[in-house]
Amino acid sequence: MIKYAVRRTLQAIPVLLGISMIIYAILLIAPGGPEARFAQNPRITADQIAAFRHRWGLDQPIPIQYCKWLGVCGDKPFLVNALPGGTIELAGVRIELPGGDNGVLHGDFGFSVVNGEPVAAIIGDRLPATLILAGTAWVIWVIIAFISGVYAAVKRYSLFDSALTVFNYVGFSFPTFWLGIMLITVFAGSLHVLPAGGMWNARTVPPFGTSEYWAFFGSQPLNALADLGTHMILPVFTLVVVSIAYDSRFVRSSMLEALNQDYIRTARAKGVPERGVVFRHALRNALLPVITNLGLEIPFLFTGAFVTETIFSWPGMGFQFIQSTASFDYPVLMGLLSVTAVVTVFANLAADLTYAIVDPRVKYD
Amino acid sequence: MTGTAHLVAEAPLARDDLLLDVRGLRTHFKVMDGTVKAVDGVDLSIAQGQTLGLVGESGCGKSVTALSIMRLIDIPPGKIVDGEIWFDGRDLLQLSDSEIHDVRGNDIAMIFQEPMTSLNPVFTVGEQIAEAVRLHQHVGGAEARNRAIESLRAVGVPAPERRVRQYPHELSGGMRQRVMIAMALSCHPKLLIADEPTTALDVTIQAQILELIKEIQARTGTALLLITHDLGVVAETVQHVAVMYAGRIVEQGTAEQVLLQPKHPYTQGLLSSIPGRQRRGRELSVIKGVVPNPFRMPPGCKFEPRCPFAWERCRASEPSLAATDRDGRTVRCFLHTDEGASRRGAYEAAAVAAVRGVVAQ
Amino acid sequence: MTEIETPRVKELTPAELEAIQLERPDFEVKLESLSQWQLAWRRFKKHRLAIVGAVLFFGMCAVAAFGPFLLPYNFYTIPTPDKFVYAGRPPSLAHPFGETGGLQRDVLTLVVNGARLSLLIGVGASIVGATIGAIVGGVAGYFGGWIDNLLMRIVDIMLSLPLLFVILVVSKFLGGGSWYLIMFIFAIFSWPGISRLVRSLFLSLRGEDYVDAARAAGVGDVRIIFRHILPNAMSPIIVAATLSVASVIISEAFVSFLGFGVDVTTPTWGNVLSNSLNFITVGNWWWPLFPGLAIVVTVLGINFMGDGLRDALDPRARE
Repeated sequence: MIKYAVRRTLQAIPVLLGISMIIYAILLIAPGGPEARFAQNPRITADQIAAFRHRWGLDQPIPIQYCKWLGVCGDKPFLVNALPGGTIELAGVRIELPGGDNGVLHGDFGFSVVNGEPVAAIIGDRLPATLILAGTAWVIWVIIAFISGVYAAVKRYSLFDSALTVFNYVGFSFPTFWLGIMLITVFAGSLHVLPAGGMWNARTVPPFGTSEYWAFFGSQPLNALADLGTHMILPVFTLVVVSIAYDSRFVRSSMLEALNQDYIRTARAKGVPERGVVFRHALRNALLPVITNLGLEIPFLFTGAFVTETIFSWPGMGFQFIQSTASFDYPVLMGLLSVTAVVTVFANLAADLTYAIVDPRVKYD
Repeated sequence: MTGTAHLVAEAPLARDDLLLDVRGLRTHFKVMDGTVKAVDGVDLSIAQGQTLGLVGESGCGKSVTALSIMRLIDIPPGKIVDGEIWFDGRDLLQLSDSEIHDVRGNDIAMIFQEPMTSLNPVFTVGEQIAEAVRLHQHVGGAEARNRAIESLRAVGVPAPERRVRQYPHELSGGMRQRVMIAMALSCHPKLLIADEPTTALDVTIQAQILELIKEIQARTGTALLLITHDLGVVAETVQHVAVMYAGRIVEQGTAEQVLLQPKHPYTQGLLSSIPGRQRRGRELSVIKGVVPNPFRMPPGCKFEPRCPFAWERCRASEPSLAATDRDGRTVRCFLHTDEGASRRGAYEAAAVAAVRGVVAQ
Repeated sequence: MTEIETPRVKELTPAELEAIQLERPDFEVKLESLSQWQLAWRRFKKHRLAIVGAVLFFGMCAVAAFGPFLLPYNFYTIPTPDKFVYAGRPPSLAHPFGETGGLQRDVLTLVVNGARLSLLIGVGASIVGATIGAIVGGVAGYFGGWIDNLLMRIVDIMLSLPLLFVILVVSKFLGGGSWYLIMFIFAIFSWPGISRLVRSLFLSLRGEDYVDAARAAGVGDVRIIFRHILPNAMSPIIVAATLSVASVIISEAFVSFLGFGVDVTTPTWGNVLSNSLNFITVGNWWWPLFPGLAIVVTVLGINFMGDGLRDALDPRARE
């Protein structure tokens, strides 16, 4: 199984490289580019724009730029650059490593062309916000979807089953962003009971992620949680409503499929009571596809909430993504997409490996 | 309940020597296009330790009959709308859910057609056999495991101590069917229902499994209800035969009677469609047409549209399952009433030809 | 087996036996024969949700086609705003969907005019996408080998790109604005999924006996693809294309909403919603409500219809 995991990881490398190349190419072939935002400004001269392009290396051929971004081109020979560089200390012995230290391969994602901040720092700022929002919503909707899906499958043709089916149809047909707008209009615009967006109340709470914020959290944990909670209600609700539909339908149909199998009839024929049939024989089998599906949802925790984040101005990865797209901040975009791609690959791997643990028929070697 | 008492008083009392006595069983299914009367008035009985074969084409209601006896019909869409199933002095249809759970697997056990899919893939075979033992015999985990090993040994599984730890996908089809039989026998049932137990297996394995079922039946004295479409299997395995067509029993008797002197044109048709040496070189006879559309059943005899011997009488109303002669067998056909006397000769000639074709090899 | 009891009648010759059987030459069972599409239509009619869905969807199409001519307000005539009610007016008899904030336009007029482009982009992109997908998938599945490998790797990459991101960039890249450009972009990104589906269908249908028979009879590849395989692969393609109309309509609305879609002065549901965003904190719920409801009704109708089609065209595929 470890061998399988290693092989899968190795196989993922060319895919990740390919995707990053294509995204890089799309970003840099697009006209306008990061300097587009200066176009409207009459005080910036063509020379200044040229200097800006040179400063960020935008005047070099795209393959070279990509190569540098990746970290295999630099002041040292091609492949040597790909190796780790700098000095390390092993058992008191200092070892000089020959490689480079710029580029993604060395954990260096570059800098934002908009404000010059390191990309890794930007992602580090945004990630916790996204994880808090998407993670909370994920836990809630998975629990609800699981219970309702299993219940609907067991009580097939019941009123609950029909109600869930109708709810799922409507949930599928709801544009997430519209649900968000309506919630804001009603609860913030008309009733004034909940904030319209953002993650904290700027008048009473320091900005999220700063040391002041955590100090505030330490001194007044209840107030801090209440503030975070009131800001989370609407976005979490939005995410949960639109996501339950898909997952509960998935759980229901895989449970129904399990309940229709011959071995369920065998279990009943040997006198297993209904509870045992459902929870021991059917559920264990129905879980197999559900686990895979949950694994595939993990990347969502990192970026998938971007529609919701945009509507509610939630300062997470998705919000950053839309902002960076609008300003062609390609190093930040590349960073965000790379993180997503890596998470996706490993989430798939984790799902496969879990599957192998739960299903005795699957053996990887 | 006064209603029940009234019914019991009117109906003939259950015969003590009968282990299973099914009377007027009707199981219907409500589907999008209407109601399918899969079983529509089935009567059959099995005495203690006896063996009965239930024969018919696919779709005739054999399996639904068996599942109805076990009360394993999915409700909805299915429903047992009428009838009584007397087993060991109790009407199974009147039992509560927990009472029927005690009957299933304990008093009546069942083997299914598809050994490949009838075992749960995520549990070891040992766990699955032991589960039945634990449920009904109220013994601990270790004891249940030992019983599972014993059961496997009894059905001829080599190295049962090792097999109990294996998962179904690690076993061959024949081995899985042996596991199913071991599971069914682990609680020493009074009645074993085998629903096409050999259909999905290789021919060589089929013979072994049939031999095993026969041998176990003889050894343990359990009654057997064998469901099959294969007359050859019936001839080799059981004492009594009931032939089913379109949700009804059309003919019943000992295996010898039914197979050597078929009274119903449908049974005759089944026999003459078996390839035999005498028929070599001739076109194989088939029963013309198909099983009637469940939504457009013929008004009279259900076999009438396919029956070469049918006449107006058969279209007018349905014959009842009536006793013929002195030998205790029953048949549902107008040919064997007074009205059919003039046509009986032609039928019997065809029946003899059909039997000759199979037997005189 | 034991000895047969001596029969009382003489044994019949095969000819005599046949004569008995021929006594009733009319007992052949009649089979009703209906074409695949007639059967599908029968099942579709019985599917209550599907009929509701079809009514919703085609009703919306009718609104898009004729609605603008029936309304008292012209889309291009912009009313003089009344400064006292900057946030707009709630629904009234004259304006059943209310008036927008700012320019105080009739929301009903905006929604009805917006239906045209939203539906056109959804339907157009799905038809183009399904056609490209069917051709690519068909070629890959039928010919296999290196063509299959090449095409499927392209599909893999297309599917692993974050769709919305690429649409945002490409619509910016190509200047954005015109509706057929947006439609084209959605078409480009909806074919890979369908081509995977078609490929797997072709892979299994390619091995069918009737295809082998056609090939043995010397039928050419193109004719086999279009006359023998494609008709049998049609049902899942139709279902997938129908459901893709729904997802394109939602994505288009979102892209327009973010300001990357059709030019903001042209009416689409996404643009109407986008314009409402500046006013949502003043609580004029009627402005975003009605264009959103229009999307929900349309998409719900399409989803109902798609599921009905799936059940009608491919009854085996039910859950």
